[in-house]
Amino acid sequence: MKEFGNAKENYDNTPIPAGLREHVQAGIQMGKANYRRQRRRTAQRWIATAACFGLLLAGLNLSPSIASAAANVPVLGGLFQVLTFVDYSKSEDGINYDISAPKVETESSLAEKVNAAIQEKVDQHLAKARQDWDDYREAFFATGGTEEEWGSREMDVSIDYEIKSQTEEQVSFVVSFAESWVSAYEEHYYYNLNLAENRELTLRDVLGEDWVVACNTAIQKQIAESVDASGFTYFFAPDKGGFTTVDEDTGFYIREDGAAVVCFPKYSIAAGAAGNVEFVVQ
Amino acid sequence: MTKEDILTQYIVENQAGFYRLAYSVLKNPDDALDAVQTAVCHALERQGSLRDTGAVRSWFYRILMNTCNDALRQRGRTVPFPEDLEPSQEDREPADDTLSRRVDALPAEVGTVIKLRFYEEMTLKEISQITGQNLNTVKSRLYAGLKKLRVTMEGVETL
Repeated sequence: MKEFGNAKENYDNTPIPAGLREHVQAGIQMGKANYRRQRRRTAQRWIATAACFGLLLAGLNLSPSIASAAANVPVLGGLFQVLTFVDYSKSEDGINYDISAPKVETESSLAEKVNAAIQEKVDQHLAKARQDWDDYREAFFATGGTEEEWGSREMDVSIDYEIKSQTEEQVSFVVSFAESWVSAYEEHYYYNLNLAENRELTLRDVLGEDWVVACNTAIQKQIAESVDASGFTYFFAPDKGGFTTVDEDTGFYIREDGAAVVCFPKYSIAAGAAGNVEFVVQ
Repeated sequence: MTKEDILTQYIVENQAGFYRLAYSVLKNPDDALDAVQTAVCHALERQGSLRDTGAVRSWFYRILMNTCNDALRQRGRTVPFPEDLEPSQEDREPADDTLSRRVDALPAEVGTVIKLRFYEEMTLKEISQITGQNLNTVKSRLYAGLKKLRVTMEGVETL
């Protein structure tokens, strides 16, 4: 096909943007992480199920050996009494649900409040996912999509959590809500609870009165360090929607070593390729 | 080498090709970059469904095409900023653009077959695997496209 010679040459000469490599690397990392998480979750569920059977059969209090075995399961850890999770997977109307939402199991007003807040977010997230999926399907067929093209399209909806740190008195965890279909979308909520004092911890509790200055200094320093030799950084300039200051609503968690880690959602202060960005404030 | 290594290496080595195809469908560098990133992410996430590492190309391109088509549909239901769809200043005008332009003006499903066949030099069987359509549909789209382009059909291989 000689006629296509020039057209193919034009096509082959499509300019490749410098950012391609970063985008591909970000995709690889995100994909690998999601793949690992799915696999780990399958394993976790198995362990959790096995642990539940252990409890049913013997009872945690009656069997010190099971109790100590459960305490050694990394997922359940020593949080057995504090955090449990509502865990289920199902597929319905083309949506795969993979839900693992935490619940604080102490008899306190704080636990009630946090559980209610999490439950509300879970309900909102599931309703939004169903709505998005319906809208998408409607738009797909309205714009000429066929059943054949629709094929076996599915949406993945997941809720997961990660315990960042935990001591006798306090627990810090993050709940992630994700929707994955056309584009991946993920939201994180951070919870830092002081169980002894029955209240939520703030950045002021962790970093002291000067918490705003401490955070801003650390963040600005890390953003400045991210600029590479060619002057490129994922972070937006402050006057172009970039980072200006932390405030009461800024999400954070407490690391094992006690350091506060301040978190910003994807796109909020940096290009999407950077994903969610985190800054350690010592 | 594990399956993941093979897949990662394939992606890294062929990323320019992914971008070219995504750009030819979406006509916007940022959208094309996003589509490549999303497709790469999905591919690694679903590496379990890659049964035969020898067929990694058609397996990956299928994910990429789905991502691009979804982005197009997504665009259809949001009102784009006017400048989004204008070619940006960096976009280079092709030197001899008559056929290129006519290929770009083809309906999406026909244009895809033409691009995969003549730009990416894939077989019709591969194109059928990538687009999820049977071989006869692919053939009929190829001929329809060529007819629209008024390119002589002589010498067009069908397999």
